[in-house]
Amino acid sequence: MALLVDIFGYLSVILHGFVIVTQSMTLGGLLFLMLLLHPLSPRLPQGDVLEQRVVRLTRWSAWGLLLSELATTALQVSVLMSTVDLSFANVMQASFAVAGSIKILCALAIALGLGRRSMAQPLPRVLLLLVGLLELVAATATTHAYARLDHNALLMAVEGLHQFGAAIWIGAIPCFVLVLRHLQDTDGLTLVGARFSRMSMIGVACILLSGITMWIFYVGDVQGFYGTAYGVMVGAKVAMFIGLLGLGLGNFLVTERLRKGANASVIRLRRFAEVEIGIGFTIFFAAASLTSVPPAVDLTTDRVSLHEIAERNAPAWPRLSSPDHDTLAISQLQTQLDREAARDHQVAQSATTPGSGVIPPRNAEDIAWSEYNHHWAGIFVLLIGFMALLGRAGAGWAKHWPLLFLAMAGFLLIRSDPEVWPLGQEGWWIAWRDVEVAQHRFFVLLIILFGAFEWSVRTGRLKSERAAMVFPLLVAVGGAMLLTHSHQISNVKDQMLIELTHTPLALAGVAAGWARWLELRLPGRGGRIAGYVWPACFMLIGVILLWYREA
Amino acid sequence: MQLNHRVAIAILALAVSINASAHAILTDSTPKPNGSVPAGHLALMLKYNSKIDQARSRLILIAPDKSETPLAITANTGKPNELDSAADLKPGAYTIRWQALALDGHITRGDLPFTVTAAP
Repeated sequence: MALLVDIFGYLSVILHGFVIVTQSMTLGGLLFLMLLLHPLSPRLPQGDVLEQRVVRLTRWSAWGLLLSELATTALQVSVLMSTVDLSFANVMQASFAVAGSIKILCALAIALGLGRRSMAQPLPRVLLLLVGLLELVAATATTHAYARLDHNALLMAVEGLHQFGAAIWIGAIPCFVLVLRHLQDTDGLTLVGARFSRMSMIGVACILLSGITMWIFYVGDVQGFYGTAYGVMVGAKVAMFIGLLGLGLGNFLVTERLRKGANASVIRLRRFAEVEIGIGFTIFFAAASLTSVPPAVDLTTDRVSLHEIAERNAPAWPRLSSPDHDTLAISQLQTQLDREAARDHQVAQSATTPGSGVIPPRNAEDIAWSEYNHHWAGIFVLLIGFMALLGRAGAGWAKHWPLLFLAMAGFLLIRSDPEVWPLGQEGWWIAWRDVEVAQHRFFVLLIILFGAFEWSVRTGRLKSERAAMVFPLLVAVGGAMLLTHSHQISNVKDQMLIELTHTPLALAGVAAGWARWLELRLPGRGGRIAGYVWPACFMLIGVILLWYREA
Repeated sequence: MQLNHRVAIAILALAVSINASAHAILTDSTPKPNGSVPAGHLALMLKYNSKIDQARSRLILIAPDKSETPLAITANTGKPNELDSAADLKPGAYTIRWQALALDGHITRGDLPFTVTAAP
């Protein structure tokens, strides 16, 4: 069990992502109800029904927050009780446990208290908002701000503002989409759209103000931005935030046209909002990943310089031939152990123990092996993007391009972890304990799934509209997961240089997934443009992979 | 293996997992990492980049013979980002295995190896 260490570490980041998503949806739902839907309800056709739908969504979000926060807090409490030999009562007095308990109770109060009757009376509505505010305050006590050495009050206020901005904008978008789906009346759409635009602007202003302040206190300088894991992840968040702003601007223009009585595409409003949810939730998972690393200002050593980045990314011809498996560091170590065991007439030890947390040895051949994998994966992805474009241009045979995903999945499954069966000595099942192996297999599974679904859709084997959605969703999820992907390399700078390559890959994956979503869901010119964007993103991923270097 | 022992190991695994999030980092220490100190009574100090819940953190001294001794952490509200302790040490290679609970709830673990030399 102790060998499941890193797997749980990875899962704890994912769990924290769910806490951020559900908290934003709960608070966003409350704000959407109190500031938008309830006041506008009498002026909307079937306003009561819409309100009940949003109430139900917000209640479910609150239950989700309760469960994810309960799991997170329970994990930490159990850890402390076990490792520091403390009683349950003692650990529950720790700041994080108090904050976690308050969050759980607030979520419970919202889940049980929100309903038709409470929405009808002013006092219960105000109380629900206060409970939401209390939850937000408790949430700031589990951020970096609470444990900083200086400026705690200021930084906690800023963290609160950041989370409030995320809730009132991104967290409320699912409610907005829900209402748009059931609202056909143009006047109603204009009312809802205009007010939600204003709410979004408040959210953007809060995020910008708090984001700039946190940049000053947590990143500090330009080298902290490009030279640390924290800075790179902030960069990924900023890039996605800019994408969200672009989509938000598009929606703002639609609502303005509606307000002026002009013709405007309501379907585009809905589709852009759907994509905003996807990208917004990806930002939340990036934020969860961010809380697990120290702020850039604290990491004064082991930063990567611009010269090192330029040196690592200098153009070089792709590595198209693989080193021999026997020359890899683990293979050589295993050979040595086998020889020693034979000499002493003993059973040979295994060179690796998956999940032990011991970082495996690496030599130049290991680096060449990994680069070869990345470069061939790049060729696969480049071909996929190119064939998808050909298919779009009318080449009928090119519709079989998703089969290349299946070939790539097979290639990665065998080659990604050379110490594991069939190439290495490590058993297939036992290797699940290794977090890097587990993540590689998860990505392979994603590739197989979206390749198979997309091929079935392209060749008419699957005719359901929902089946067509599997490919874009899984590509977007893959991109989001890549933001949390970790490599087990002891050298912090090397890890950082690899992360600098993987982050643009992840962002291109997220963009590709949501562009394909728009192609499927958005009729007219917008969908056609998106249809060219996602193959281009795939080709960009291919080029980045071909550029990849580990030394 | 008894059930409660298994549970303890499982929970220990979860604890170490949080080490993957290198959240609180050691910014200074006495002794220094891989440094050397003379034998005798030694004041230990581990300083972090964030405030630490001293009552719920842990220091374990691993002696040259691999035996492990928990060290009492001195409560010090004036230095909220430190874990302070003391020990009488003989010459040899030691490690302090620390586990720090940052006030925001993040648990980080690490090792501080050092050598104790014969007193001059």
